[in-house]
Amino acid sequence: MTKDPLHTKLCDQLGVEFPIVAFTHCKDVAVAVINSGGFAVLGEAMHTPEEIASDIKWMKDRIDGKPFGIDLVLPASAPPETTLEEITAKIPQEHMDYKQSVMDKYDCPMPKQQVDLHQWGGLSLAHGRAQLEVLLDERVPVIASGLGSPAFLLEAAHERGCLVWGLVGRTRQAKRQIEAGVDAVIAQGFDAAGHTGDMGTLSIVAEVAAIAGDTPIIAAGGITTGRHLAAALCLGASGVWTGTLWLASRESDVDMIIKERLVASEAADTTWSDSVSGFTMRVLKNPWTEEWKKPEAPDPLPSPYQMILSADYTQGANDARRPDLMYEASGQGVGFVKEMKPARQIVSDMVEEALTVFDDVVGLPD
Amino acid sequence: MALLDVRPGFDPMLTGKRAECDGGGILPGGRYAARQEFTGSLTGEFRDHGNPAWRWYLMNELTQKPDNYPHETVWCESESLFLLEE
Repeated sequence: MTKDPLHTKLCDQLGVEFPIVAFTHCKDVAVAVINSGGFAVLGEAMHTPEEIASDIKWMKDRIDGKPFGIDLVLPASAPPETTLEEITAKIPQEHMDYKQSVMDKYDCPMPKQQVDLHQWGGLSLAHGRAQLEVLLDERVPVIASGLGSPAFLLEAAHERGCLVWGLVGRTRQAKRQIEAGVDAVIAQGFDAAGHTGDMGTLSIVAEVAAIAGDTPIIAAGGITTGRHLAAALCLGASGVWTGTLWLASRESDVDMIIKERLVASEAADTTWSDSVSGFTMRVLKNPWTEEWKKPEAPDPLPSPYQMILSADYTQGANDARRPDLMYEASGQGVGFVKEMKPARQIVSDMVEEALTVFDDVVGLPD
Repeated sequence: MALLDVRPGFDPMLTGKRAECDGGGILPGGRYAARQEFTGSLTGEFRDHGNPAWRWYLMNELTQKPDNYPHETVWCESESLFLLEE
């Protein structure tokens, strides 16, 4: 070998040491990863524009000019405008009764405060757009879209020196975004936490890499070790996008109860269930997901109805900090999350393991 | 929060074209996003939201939609729309 296998075009694009991207909702994790030679993208989809501006300032004050990213969820489709009241009124009584029976069976308390349901329809577009304005005003180094295409903002972003990344679950989405000129594509496989497409990580990364040309591809879905990192680079990716890996880190603000569950979990302890949101999503198994699999359970409703049904359980369990009820989105790589390590150590362990793998396979440069 | 400046329009060249939409969005009540796939016919109606324009097309005659999707139409973001005749 003649070059450092971990120095990729993504490293050059970002000016970072390692091609490891942490996706996190925790500012402390993001700062720790950035200051350890990796890169971090902070998920801000549920925050107000004011909160986003505040978080950006907080991070800038702690990373000494290093680059960082912010992730928003740009919608790709929207139903005709409806109100929360109209939607709630359409939930069948059978489902309301079953929800209550599950909560009663497990003595799940109601939330302490009314669940804050996110808006959708025209208002969500306005919300997303107002969030984007903050990122552009603040000249955030990397603007990432966790779902919809960011192509419409490419010109405005590039004028301000911002890079734009798009996350895709299908190869044709990647092709469209690459042709539009995004600066990197995150190819996310079925192994990932939360809602994903139906292609496995191994398949989608290779397919997208094959059409990417000079555009860096970042592999996502089930990546928690240096072995995964090495494999992703061999598939043609220029880096990895990691989420579950950081949930149990020392800096993470995830509830300690969830951290302990994550550390004790294997891939098979995750489930792909539509009982939480109405869409299949990968989460840690929990009483809610398991009860909705039973023969007597009604079929889960589509989104947003099922999300409204599950919201009381989720928030009630979290408010009461009930270990037997709480859950979190988790990818299949969770089986390798075995300690609550500092983020810096997670980065260095991942790098060391990847280099060992490369050395074992092809030998490393002197 | 104020609604976006919205400029409606109509493109007769798209009327009746069959298309697929790799759609989705953030879900109410959480921080998760979900993908939703639709197949249908474009009406030709579109809306440009804000500046630079974020364009959305209206699709009806849905032959594919998420299970129990309760509506007969869906707005699709232009870059997430794939014409079947292309």
